[in-house]
Amino acid sequence: MSAESLDARYQRQIPLFGKEGQKKLKNARILLAGAGGLGSAIAMYLAAAGVGYIRIVDEDVVETSNLNRQILYRETDIGSCKVEAAEKTIHALNRDVDVDAVCRHINEKSVGNLVQGVDMILDGMDNFAARYILNRAGLDEKIPFIHGAVNGFYGQVTTLIPGVTPCLRCIIPTTPTWEKNAIIGVTCGAIGSIEATEAIKYITGTGELLKNRLLLWDGLRGESESIQIVNSPECTDCGFSESEPDARRFPV
Amino acid sequence: MKITVKAFAMFREVMDMQIELEFPDGATVRTLLTSLTARYEGLSEVMFAAPDTLRDFVNILRNGRNIHFIAGLDTPLDNGDIIALFPPAAGG
Ligand SMILES: [Zn+2]
Repeated sequence: MSAESLDARYQRQIPLFGKEGQKKLKNARILLAGAGGLGSAIAMYLAAAGVGYIRIVDEDVVETSNLNRQILYRETDIGSCKVEAAEKTIHALNRDVDVDAVCRHINEKSVGNLVQGVDMILDGMDNFAARYILNRAGLDEKIPFIHGAVNGFYGQVTTLIPGVTPCLRCIIPTTPTWEKNAIIGVTCGAIGSIEATEAIKYITGTGELLKNRLLLWDGLRGESESIQIVNSPECTDCGFSESEPDARRFPV
Repeated sequence: MKITVKAFAMFREVMDMQIELEFPDGATVRTLLTSLTARYEGLSEVMFAAPDTLRDFVNILRNGRNIHFIAGLDTPLDNGDIIALFPPAAGG
């Protein structure tokens, strides 16, 4: 797009962070881990805002039962690879976004390549095993990890910055298991939008990040509250290990 | 000493969203949970897998730090502490 049509496209948001901020969004490189309900909201809002590069990673194909919440997909996408369908939808909205569609499982082996060259990681995962892997990768690469998760009408979100905030393991040390895991699009929209807001603020240097606080969203009661969170020196992922003092990653 | 307890998500279905409680010196998180489960019917079943064993989704923060990394149920309480009880969401 020409500079003029770019200005027109983003004219309603440029007052928030200036043309400089818009340029930063254009130059930003995001890893979006997961192209499900959270990933859909995150991808659509970041693409609409003009984030320049989105590496979107998911190994699944679109199923009928995804359509209640995964707004990246249409009925005609059922059976297609999610990230390819996602790329189509993102490009239909904003063809200037460079989409790197990666159909791959996120594990200890693959994560190293997936985080290469990105400015931040956005959490669109549906399980804690993968989230802990992303948490470690963010710590290793010293890049922020914006954590979000949903369960029914409830959700939580926080921005985790290595050396500045606790890590995911500090606040949620073990994998929570659920007998039933109901999920609805509106909650993914609420939490995904907050994650995307955090990314936009981080990239443009606008406002106050949701850091050292965990926002707990209660859609059932129309309430949200952010509670203080602090790092733990005993944390096995970011903290100090007595047997290996040199393993301490960051000063407290 | 005075302790503030904040409950989130499904814990709100069986207890108040916020409550202030008084305890004698030497109280721990275990003391607090014993008091809460006596006060709120159904809370014990939601929180404990077995006596003295919390369910894996019960996260308890004392002034923002997870008691998992302090002393678990034996974590001591101090006047003015804020205890947050939350079950993390895990879906996406
Ligand atoms: Zn940690």
